[in-house]
Amino acid sequence: MPGIEDILSSIGDFLNGLGPTVVLPVVIIILGLILRMKWSSAIRSGITVAVGFVGIFLTVGLLGTTVSVIGEAFAKNTGTGLSVIDIGWPAASSLAFGSPIGYIIIPIGIVLNIILLFVRATKTLDVDLWNFWHIAFVGALVQFVTNNFWVALIAAIFAFVIALFLADWSAPLVEKYYGMPGISIPHLQSAGYMMLAVPFAMLLRKIPGLRNMKLNPDTTRRKFGLFGEPMILGFVIGLILGLVAGQDVGTALATAITIAAVMLLIPRMVVILMEGLTPVAVAARKFMTKRFAGREFYIGLDSAVLVGSPAVIAAGLLMVPVELLLALGLSPIGNETLPFVDLADGVFVAALLVPLVGGDLILTVILGAIVMGIGLWFATQIAPAVSQMVASSTTIDFPSGYDSFTVMSDGAVPVSYGFYYLFQTPVAVAIIVGLLVLVGLFFLKQKFPLGERLLPVLANAAGESLVDEPIGEKGSASVASKSVDPNPDSAEK
Amino acid sequence: MKKVFVVCATGIATSTMVRMRVEEYLNERGIKAEISQYRVGELSADRIDADVIVSTSGMPPEFAKVVPVVNGVPFLTGIGEEAALKEIEAALSAS
Repeated sequence: MPGIEDILSSIGDFLNGLGPTVVLPVVIIILGLILRMKWSSAIRSGITVAVGFVGIFLTVGLLGTTVSVIGEAFAKNTGTGLSVIDIGWPAASSLAFGSPIGYIIIPIGIVLNIILLFVRATKTLDVDLWNFWHIAFVGALVQFVTNNFWVALIAAIFAFVIALFLADWSAPLVEKYYGMPGISIPHLQSAGYMMLAVPFAMLLRKIPGLRNMKLNPDTTRRKFGLFGEPMILGFVIGLILGLVAGQDVGTALATAITIAAVMLLIPRMVVILMEGLTPVAVAARKFMTKRFAGREFYIGLDSAVLVGSPAVIAAGLLMVPVELLLALGLSPIGNETLPFVDLADGVFVAALLVPLVGGDLILTVILGAIVMGIGLWFATQIAPAVSQMVASSTTIDFPSGYDSFTVMSDGAVPVSYGFYYLFQTPVAVAIIVGLLVLVGLFFLKQKFPLGERLLPVLANAAGESLVDEPIGEKGSASVASKSVDPNPDSAEK
Repeated sequence: MKKVFVVCATGIATSTMVRMRVEEYLNERGIKAEISQYRVGELSADRIDADVIVSTSGMPPEFAKVVPVVNGVPFLTGIGEEAALKEIEAALSAS
């Protein structure tokens, strides 16, 4: 007689066989109906998400064709051993949402968040459903390690709680530095660096000469503006890689155009996916805020809301050459990752580093170099898991012959790698350590509130005002009310 | 045609949420405008061809000198959304 494990695993196989373009729309439609969306909008959302996926998979295939040609040749010709290619967040997000954990992460995350708010373990209400993919990515990594759906689900739940706790922890910092009260950032691509970045930030502050070297964010922004355009960045990097890989000029130019196309086209496909997800996210937000009316809480958002600050933009741009130099410099001591598609997205890392060093651009870049340097090594370590995800994806058509991929946006995040490493130990040990980390973080956010402890010290050290410019207009005062409007829609009818 | 630039970190994720709501609102009101999405890093205040910018990421200060900048965060939190929509409408009818 088949046991429950067998039945569940055959359900899993069945779902995997159908693939994300069939399973996800069904999940989205069911979720939409539970959240009281109209039938027609729920179905439209589901199909739009699936179409977005089809688009992403098509364009990611284009990327695969090109990197498989230049990847190996680049590593060989330069003798650097940088053979692991960073395929970038758009591809990684589709792999993560297309994994077994990805199918269920949105409903699981919503329910878990409501429970945690209810028992007052967190103050963050994460309405940023899109970025649940980072959590699903952790689940997919652990599923690769343990080959067990349930263990992967536990890991994903841990990762989600950690994201919420880190958001609570950094919320006072976000409020004071960016002038954005009532908001927190449970976005792992930024928050996931906090545990590593805070101690280094405190250390950097103590080094005397560093604080006095000033770099102006505005002039930096103008000088390095080119790196802010993914298409142009893709062209330049594609051309360089093609030439270094030994292609003739014509072929290298063709490579450059393909990479430029990939940098522009994949994100355009993500827009379609977002168009499908947005009505569901809005419905979820209304559903959840209604249930916590009158309570004080933070609305958890994408760290994108922070990146308009000149210091963040400038640091994100400077991280492009810094990451490439780091990759080369660290290759003799174990780095094999060639940062590539995610080079254009250093702002997400910088978003929460900037306030830690009081907006100082040089300190931000040094801090960024430290966490990304370590991150390159993390990304190298998880490459087998990412490569396996690419290989077993039924929808992404990567040509064979090249099989070493990673993703900087998540591979470099200490939380993602932490779980990948942790679950290589016996599962019981991993779960106990995971729980200890959660308890530790819970007390850390209570006993060491970042806004109160860190910012005054920084202000004294820098001897000047911390806030470089408040973000947004006076209009942001509407977000400023900490006690959230019990019925946000009442005014809109 | 009036132009609305919706801006976020990638020009992808949060700006899509904002664009869809703004589009819906302007359609309801019968206001014709061209809405496009941008990355905050790719715009330059020296050559900006928009009637209003809606940004979830905040904008470097020089932009507010040349074009009205509306905070897009209310579209993500749901709090103050109506006021932000009014602000956009006002900017479009003023320019």
